[in-house]
Amino acid sequence: MSRLLRTSEVTRRPVVTLAGQDVAQIKDVVFSAGGGAVIGFTLAGRGLFSGPLNQALPWASVMALGPDAVMIRHEEVFAPSATVLDGSASSVGSGGDVLGSQVLTESGTELGTVVDVILETAEAGGGHCDVVGYEVAASEKLGTNGTRVFIPLPDTLAASSEHLIVPDSATRFVAHDLAGFGAAVKAFRHELEGPT
Amino acid sequence: MRFSEAAGRKVVSTSTAGTVGQIDGFVVDPQTHSLVALTVKKSRHGDTLLWSSVTAFGVDAVTVQAADAITKCNDAVAALSGKDRRMIGKRVLNTGGEDLGAVTDADFDPATGRLTTLRLESGDIDGERLVAIGSYAAVVHRDA
Repeated sequence: MSRLLRTSEVTRRPVVTLAGQDVAQIKDVVFSAGGGAVIGFTLAGRGLFSGPLNQALPWASVMALGPDAVMIRHEEVFAPSATVLDGSASSVGSGGDVLGSQVLTESGTELGTVVDVILETAEAGGGHCDVVGYEVAASEKLGTNGTRVFIPLPDTLAASSEHLIVPDSATRFVAHDLAGFGAAVKAFRHELEGPT
Repeated sequence: MRFSEAAGRKVVSTSTAGTVGQIDGFVVDPQTHSLVALTVKKSRHGDTLLWSSVTAFGVDAVTVQAADAITKCNDAVAALSGKDRRMIGKRVLNTGGEDLGAVTDADFDPATGRLTTLRLESGDIDGERLVAIGSYAAVVHRDA
């Protein structure tokens, strides 16, 4: 089983060791250069007045990305931020850079602006954590001006801090709620892989 | 036996038949899933009664051989006691990062001291599943 979740839900979630200590909280999600996977998290200290930490959490060290906490074995799995951030592309760096970008189809139609990034992770923990789509404040091209819709992504895509390019066919797999989105992503990727 | 039932029970010395203290709290070792000691109040000797010094954990009283079975806290017990290690009222997380609610009570076997059940509002959890008790949460293995 896999589960879909918004990046914004993950941020501020506590990072808890198996010993039951909350050692940090998630500050931001770091995506890989292609934009297709999560490679780690930047961290902030726990508590009202603690700032960002210069340590980061590589995805490989995450035991489980749960609905209420991110579980890790112990605090020693943290790595210096630089080593985790190195793996990410400068242009698709953090979630903050993707948010607010315009989504364009290959044929040049604007679909809206990105308000959140949708991740897919295995329920059992471990495995991959993929970026499967964007939550978008839709333009009138999608016929639903101002509402929020979910647009599936191919495995890799062209992205800059300005624009994200998706195939034209993505518009046919737009979902209006997260519950139906998993199936839409699967159908969309299946069509991209299949002979057309 | 429930923690809530056992708390407040008097500690009686079998050599003098006098009450030497009263059970206040429980010190759990998550590694062995069992009680290592009881904290005791109203004793002149200390605040800790090691599980190994208990003669019997009875329905109406806990018996010990003599008043000096109650001692000052040693380092091993201190590491497992204190506010951060107290189980009742603590949030429970499973290893999948799901919040299961707070511990309302717990059961132990009065013969062996083994922790048998954690009671939560959302349901009971086998004591064997306990991994650790930390300042933020008690961690349990997720359902098999």
